Amino acid sequence: MSNYRKGARELFEEVIDQGLCTGCGACVTACPYIVAYEGRIVVLDKCTIADGHCYKHCPRAHTNMNAVSEKIFGVPYGDGEVGHALDIHMVKSKDAEIKEKGQDGGTVTTLLALALEEEMIDVAVCTKMDEEKIARGYLARSRAELLECAGSSYEASFALEAYRSIPKENTEKVAIVGLGCQVEALGKIKSDPAKNSANPDNIKLTLGLFCGWALRPDIFHPYLKELCDPSQAVKFDIPHTPHYTFDVYTKSDTKSVSLDDIRPYINPACQYCWDMTAEFSDISIGSAGSRFPGWNTVIVRTKTGSDLVKLAKAKGILETQALPGQRLAHLKTMALKRKKTAFKNITDKTGDKKDLLYVGGLSEGIADKLSEG
Amino acid sequence: MSRKTLRKEPFNLIISGVGGQGNVLLSAFVGAALLNEGFMVSVADTFGVSQRGGSVTSHIKISKKTLYSSVTLDGKADVILGMEPVETLRALGEFGNPHVVVIVNPRPIYPSGGATYPDLDKVKQAITKLSSKTKFVNATEEALKMGNPIYTNIILLGSLVGAEVLPISKETMIPILEERFPGKLLDANIKAFGKGMELIANA
Amino acid sequence: MNKPGAIVLLMGNEAVARGAIEAGIGVAAAYPGSPSSEVLTTIAGVAKQMNIHAEWSVNEKVAMEVAGGASFAGIRSFCAMKQNGANVAADFLVNANMTGVGDAGMVVFISDDPGGMTSNNEEDSRTITKWLDNPLLEPSSAQEAKEMIKWAYEVSEAVNLVTFVRGVTRISYTKSNVVLGELPEKKEKKAFFPDLWDMYNPKKSKFTSGPFPIFHKPLHEKLEKAREIFERSTFNQYMGPEHPELLIITCGACTSYCTEAVDELKAGEWVGILKLGTTWPLPEKLVAKHLSTTKTVLFVEEMDPFVERNVMELAASLLPATCDLTFYGKRSGHLAPYNEQSTNLVIDALVDILGTTYQARDLSYDEEAKKAIQIVPHRPINMCAGCPHRATFWAVKKALQLDGRKGFVCGDIGCYAMGFTGPGFFQSRTMHAMGSGAGVANGLGNLRQFGFDQPVLAMTGDSTFYHAVLPALVNGVYNNSSFILLILDNSATAMTGFQPHPGTGLLATGDPAKVVDMEAVCRAMGADVRVCDPFDLEDTTKALLSMIKKDGGTRVIIMRHMCQLVKARRKISNKYRMYVDRERCLGDTCGCDNLCTRILGCPGLMVDREISKAAIDEALCVGCGLCADICPSSAIIREEASDE
Repeated sequence: MSNYRKGARELFEEVIDQGLCTGCGACVTACPYIVAYEGRIVVLDKCTIADGHCYKHCPRAHTNMNAVSEKIFGVPYGDGEVGHALDIHMVKSKDAEIKEKGQDGGTVTTLLALALEEEMIDVAVCTKMDEEKIARGYLARSRAELLECAGSSYEASFALEAYRSIPKENTEKVAIVGLGCQVEALGKIKSDPAKNSANPDNIKLTLGLFCGWALRPDIFHPYLKELCDPSQAVKFDIPHTPHYTFDVYTKSDTKSVSLDDIRPYINPACQYCWDMTAEFSDISIGSAGSRFPGWNTVIVRTKTGSDLVKLAKAKGILETQALPGQRLAHLKTMALKRKKTAFKNITDKTGDKKDLLYVGGLSEGIADKLSEG
Repeated sequence: MSRKTLRKEPFNLIISGVGGQGNVLLSAFVGAALLNEGFMVSVADTFGVSQRGGSVTSHIKISKKTLYSSVTLDGKADVILGMEPVETLRALGEFGNPHVVVIVNPRPIYPSGGATYPDLDKVKQAITKLSSKTKFVNATEEALKMGNPIYTNIILLGSLVGAEVLPISKETMIPILEERFPGKLLDANIKAFGKGMELIANA
Repeated sequence: MNKPGAIVLLMGNEAVARGAIEAGIGVAAAYPGSPSSEVLTTIAGVAKQMNIHAEWSVNEKVAMEVAGGASFAGIRSFCAMKQNGANVAADFLVNANMTGVGDAGMVVFISDDPGGMTSNNEEDSRTITKWLDNPLLEPSSAQEAKEMIKWAYEVSEAVNLVTFVRGVTRISYTKSNVVLGELPEKKEKKAFFPDLWDMYNPKKSKFTSGPFPIFHKPLHEKLEKAREIFERSTFNQYMGPEHPELLIITCGACTSYCTEAVDELKAGEWVGILKLGTTWPLPEKLVAKHLSTTKTVLFVEEMDPFVERNVMELAASLLPATCDLTFYGKRSGHLAPYNEQSTNLVIDALVDILGTTYQARDLSYDEEAKKAIQIVPHRPINMCAGCPHRATFWAVKKALQLDGRKGFVCGDIGCYAMGFTGPGFFQSRTMHAMGSGAGVANGLGNLRQFGFDQPVLAMTGDSTFYHAVLPALVNGVYNNSSFILLILDNSATAMTGFQPHPGTGLLATGDPAKVVDMEAVCRAMGADVRVCDPFDLEDTTKALLSMIKKDGGTRVIIMRHMCQLVKARRKISNKYRMYVDRERCLGDTCGCDNLCTRILGCPGLMVDREISKAAIDEALCVGCGLCADICPSSAIIREEASDE
C-alpha cells in the first residue's frame, strides 16, 4: 500500500487544509482526535504518531491506484473510462415498496434487502437523513431500516464513520454503500486494516454510487431552510439533461431551483475527483437518465456482484435490460470527461503535470491519456 | 536546651517527595518532636501551587545554639528522607555530599505530561552511589497492605526515628501522634509507625 | 495557648496571628492569598474565646475597609494579605493615610512571594508603603514577626497611621521556636464612633480625606515622627567590628542568610551586618553613622533594591562626606532584583567582593551528582486526581474545537489557572489579576464592529466570583458584551486551603452563614444562566455548544461539582473503582496514542512500561470515572465500588 510514513499532521497539511476533503468519513471514529461535525472534519488534539491509519485510509491522501485495483480485482488499474467492468446493464426493482422509496430504480435497496434475507450480510452501512435532512452514516440490519435509508441526500455524509464504529470483535458480515471516494477508501482499508476496528475481510459487499459532486452540509442546510421546512422534504432529485434543476419534493409541493443556485454549496474538493462511477466496488449503480425514468444504470465489476444480481433476477425482484449502445457511449464520454476535468484541476493546482496530488501508482501511459486535450 | 547531642551543628534534614504525599505533615511531626527534645528548629516546606503534583521539599535545620534559616546550604544535607525515588535523586543533586545518609521509599510517582521516567534500577544505583549509606524502605507497599496509601508518610516517620540518625526517640514521637490522631485513627497510625521502625531495622 | 513563656514551634503566619492576639485586636479581616492565608485561619480558630470578630472578606479592599471601620471606632484591627492584596486595597489606603486611623491602631501584614512560588506575579509591596507615606517594618524570623506586630500597634497609635509589616514566603511558612507572650486581659472592648461635638478630640470626629493640601502636610509630619521613633528601635541591630571592611545592610528574611554566609566564610572579623527592622522611613541618623565606619557596602534584600535605593539617596544627600563609599547590591548585579535570596547567593556575592574562595562539597562528588541528576524528569504541576476542572476543560476544548471559530478562554486565578498549561489543555490564553478573566472578556466581547467573531469564554472560580467578578458581570450585561462566563463552583477557595466564602454557607469561625445564591445573583443581573455538572461530559459539551451558538449577550454557565480534596476532607468517596482492560487498550499505537496518559494527564493514570499500555495507579486514583468516558477503545472500565 502507501509506503509513505505519514499521520494526522500530514492529513491536515496535504488533504484537509488543501481543500481535498470529500467528507467520506474514513479518518474519523477509529481516531479519537478526528471527528466529523456539521459537515466538517474537526481535530480535537494533536496526535504524535508518524504513521497513521487516518492518512493510509484517506482516499485523498496519496493512493496507489494499482495496489487498490490488485486488491479488489486482481489486476492493475487500467485505462477504462468507467473502470474495471464485467457487465453493464439497466436495472430496476420489481419490489413495489422499494421502488416507491427508491431514487430511480430502487436497485441498491433491493440488492441489500436480498443480501440480508439470504444472510449474505448481517448489516449494511448506508446513509440516512434525519428529520432536518442532514445525512449521516447508519447501520441497517433489517429491511425496514434499509427503506429508511433509501433516496439520495446529495451531500457528503461521512458515512464511513458508521462502518468504523463497528467494534473490533464484531464478526457480522457487512455491506457498504458509498460514493467513489468512500469505495476507494474501503479499498485502502482492506489493504491495510486498522487494528482497532472490525476486520475488513468481513466486508462482503460494496455497492458504489455514481456521483458528480456532493454538497457541503454546513453551508447547504442554511440555504435549504430558506427554500422550505426541511422536515417536510421527502425527496431530492437532480434530473438529467436537458433539465438543469435541483428539485426538492415536499409533502405538499415541489421546489425547483436552478443548478447555478446550488453550485455555491458544492464541496470544492469534488473538482479534484475523477471517479464518477465508484470504480472499486462490487457493483456500481447510478441513474439511467431522463430517457429511462425509473431505471438504474448498473456496472457489475466482480463475481460477488454478478452472483448477487443473477440471484435477484432469479428471485424475480430485479428486472435487467441491456444498456443501449448510445447510452453506454454517453456514460463513457461523461466518465472520461470527468477524469480529464479532474486531471486538469489537479495539475492546475500543483502546477506540475507529473504531480497528481493523491493519485499515484498508475501504470505507464495512463496519466498521459488524460493530459491530451 | 537539650541534653542530647547533635552530630553536627547545625544539622540538616531534607524530606523530599511529590505534592500530596504528606510531606508537610511529616515535617511538622519531626519539627514538633525536635522542639520537645529541646532543640532550636527551623522548618520550611514548599507550599501552594507546587503541591499539585509538583516536587515538594521540606528543609529542617536543627541547632543547639541558635535559630538558623531553614533552607539547607548547597551540598550540606546530613540526612535525606526520600518519599519518592527521583525526588530523592533531585535532592542529592543539589544538597548531597559524600557523608549524607539516605532513607528512601523506592516507589515511583510518574510525572504528568508524558515526561519519561528513568529506569528505577538506575535511579536506585545513582542514589546509593551519591550517599554514604542508603536504606530502601517499601513504605507505599506496606501502606497498601494496610489498606490505604495514606499511611506511607507515617511508616516513613517510623523508619526515620528507627534509623536513629536524628536525636528523636520513639517516646517523644508517640505523644505527638496521639495529639494529632483521634480515636480509631490513632491505632492505625501507631501501627504504621511501628511498621516503619521494623522495616528500617531489617533494611 | 495561655502559657506565657512557653516555647512552641510556630510558622511565621501563626506567630503573626499570635502577635495580633497578644496586642488585643478586636477585628481581623483578610482574603485568602498564599503566603498569608494561615494568619486569619489561626485568629479565627480562637476568635470566640478572645472576643475577636474574624472574617474572610470577599476581597482585600473590603477587608481593609472593614479593619478601617473598626479602628475608627476605637478597636484595634488587623489585616493580612499577599502582595496583590495591597494592590486591590490601594485606593482605600491612599485615602486612609490622609484620614488617619482612629484611637486604636490598624496594622496590615503583607506577605510577599519572591520567586512567585504561589503567585501569578512577582511584586515587592514595600514600594506601596513608601508611596503611601506609611511606616514599614520587616521581621527576620517568626519570633520577631510576633514582636513587631505588637509594636506596630504602638507605632500606629503614636503617629496615627496604618502601619505595615512585610513578610515573605520564608518568614510566613518557616516554622521555628517562638516564645509565647502574655495574652491580653479579657476586658470588654468598647467600640464607639467619636461624637461630632467631642470637645476633647475635635480632629478625631471624622475620617474624611479632603481638603487635600490640608491633610497631606500632616501626613508628612506623621512620617517624620515615625522616623524619630525608628531611630531608637531595638529592631535595628548591628553585629560586627566597629570599622568593618565590608558593611552589609540587610533586612527581613535575608538577615539569617547574611549571618550564616559570613559564618560559613569565617569572615566575621572584617564583615559587619546592619540589620534594619524598620525599613521605611529609614532611621537616617543610624544608617549615616554606620556608613561613616566603612568604605564598602553590600545591600542584601529580597526583590526590589528598596533599601538599596533609599540608602543611596540618603548617601547622596550626605555628600561630600559619603563620596568614598562603594555600593554593591542589585545595581551592581551581585544579587538579582527578582526571585528569592538565599545563604548560597549571599556567599556567592561575598566571595566576589571579598575575593575569597568557597567550596561547598567535594569536587568529584559535585561532578558526579550533577551528571546523575540529568536523568531526573521535570515534574510539572497538575490538577489533583478527580478534579472537576479537568472535566470542565475537556468539555471546553471539545466544544471550542467543534465550533471551529478559534474560540478561547480568558483565565483567572485559582486551581483552574492551570488552564494555560497542559493539564488544562492550554485553553486559557489570558491571565492577570483576580477577576480579570471576566473583565478582559468584556472587552473582547465588544469587538463585533471590527469583524471579531471568535467565541469568548471567561473562567472564574466560586470564590473569585464573589471577590472581583460581580462588577465585571454587571458591566457585561449593561454594556451588552458578548461572552460566556464559566463559574467553576467546586464549593471551596481551593488553591489557598479551602477557606469558606459566601457561596459555601460557612463563616471563618465555622459557624453557619447565609448563602449568597450564585445563580440568583447572575439571573438578577440579567444574564442567561445554566448549571451543569462537568463530569456529565456529554451534557456539559452540548450546553457549551448551545451557549456558544447563541452568540450574543452575557451568558453564564455554572460548572458545579465539589472539589476532590473537599470530598476527601468530608469523607465523601467517589462511586467507582477503575481498571484498564489490557486487551482493549491500544496504548501508544494508532487509534489512541496514549490519549489518557498523554493528554488527559490525570495523576491516577500511568503507563505500564512493560506492555506500553495504560494502567491505573491505585495509590493516586480516586475513582471519579472521567477517564472511562474519554477512552476511545472503551478500555477503561469503571465498576461500582463496594463500600469500605
